[in-house]
Amino acid sequence: MRRPAARRVLRRFSVAGGLAGALALAGCGGGLRPLIGLNLQLAQRGEVRAPSLAGPWLALIRSGEGRGRVELIALERNAPVPLPGLNRPDAQPLSVSVDQRGEHLAVVRQLEGRTELVLYRRSLQALQPIAMQPAGVPRQVQISADGRVLAVELSRDGRWQVDLMELP
Amino acid sequence: MRRRSPLRLLGALPLLLAIASCAAPWGLRRQPSTPLGLGQESRQDPALSGDGRLLASVVERGGRNTVLLQERRSGTVLPLRHLRGRQPHSSPSLSWNGRYLALLVQQGPQRLAVVEDRATGQLHPLPLPGGREPERLSLAPDARQLALQLVEGGQTRVELYDLRGLLEPDLPPGQSLSNPAPPGVILGGAAVRHLERWR
Repeated sequence: MRRPAARRVLRRFSVAGGLAGALALAGCGGGLRPLIGLNLQLAQRGEVRAPSLAGPWLALIRSGEGRGRVELIALERNAPVPLPGLNRPDAQPLSVSVDQRGEHLAVVRQLEGRTELVLYRRSLQALQPIAMQPAGVPRQVQISADGRVLAVELSRDGRWQVDLMELP
Repeated sequence: MRRRSPLRLLGALPLLLAIASCAAPWGLRRQPSTPLGLGQESRQDPALSGDGRLLASVVERGGRNTVLLQERRSGTVLPLRHLRGRQPHSSPSLSWNGRYLALLVQQGPQRLAVVEDRATGQLHPLPLPGGREPERLSLAPDARQLALQLVEGGQTRVELYDLRGLLEPDLPPGQSLSNPAPPGVILGGAAVRHLERWR
């Protein structure tokens, strides 16, 4: 029973080791300077994707055990902050975007066989579904850093389109 | 039976209004897509500038995915200098005022992250060591950091990079530099004149 867990740990160490090597090489390169501490910590978080940077915040989707979770990392503290009410065990997030204040998170997720766009307000710990009008299936979302505009990529009438929405 | 005075009800009005505004705090205003002026063509990968003024998206041009930069409200297309011939483009990301457009382009057999500086006209290629290829990116609104998603050892992961040695910050109007650029980044002079021209 312990072997898979040990393998996972070994794999994680090897990923972290490989990352450290790659980062050392990258440090010798031109304009890109790796943020080594943050990157090592991100590597230890396992499979992560769909990054969204805004000010002191990094939002991303962390995968594990067949499902995904939205995480919001406070870069100055190098630590995730709680997002009560956002993640559900039966939901699969596809895309996430955060504003500069870390107040709004826009998320596209699959839930109960459908794909939906939701807007999470961290100060209220509240989640609002946003319907596509006319109907469409969202795939990707971005919120402007000032938190005022949403751009949503969605499938509608057999084409990919972009809807824009202004938040009050 | 005691009657409530109208004055007391008036006094409660601000509270009622506050409750009402809390009950519907997220009224959305949808912008029709027609101002974008591109008819029925397919459009993907939207990215907004930090102030929401500009929209970058990927459209098909001559069978190749090409990034298009537009003013969000009017649909006016803004010129990009360096990206022709580097398709397919993907994953655009804009800085706060839209000075910088970061995206993935094709360079030979490889995907490459680049940043176009619309103020100076420079293109900054950002190759990853070890021949690694990025899949997606996100540029911080102030252009101080870049997040890259890549696959290595069969695992998708995210790495962060510091761009302060390469790019001037692109800050919201009125915001001062709390963390000055490291040596090698020159602020002012020609850069300021460029900024005045393109804004």
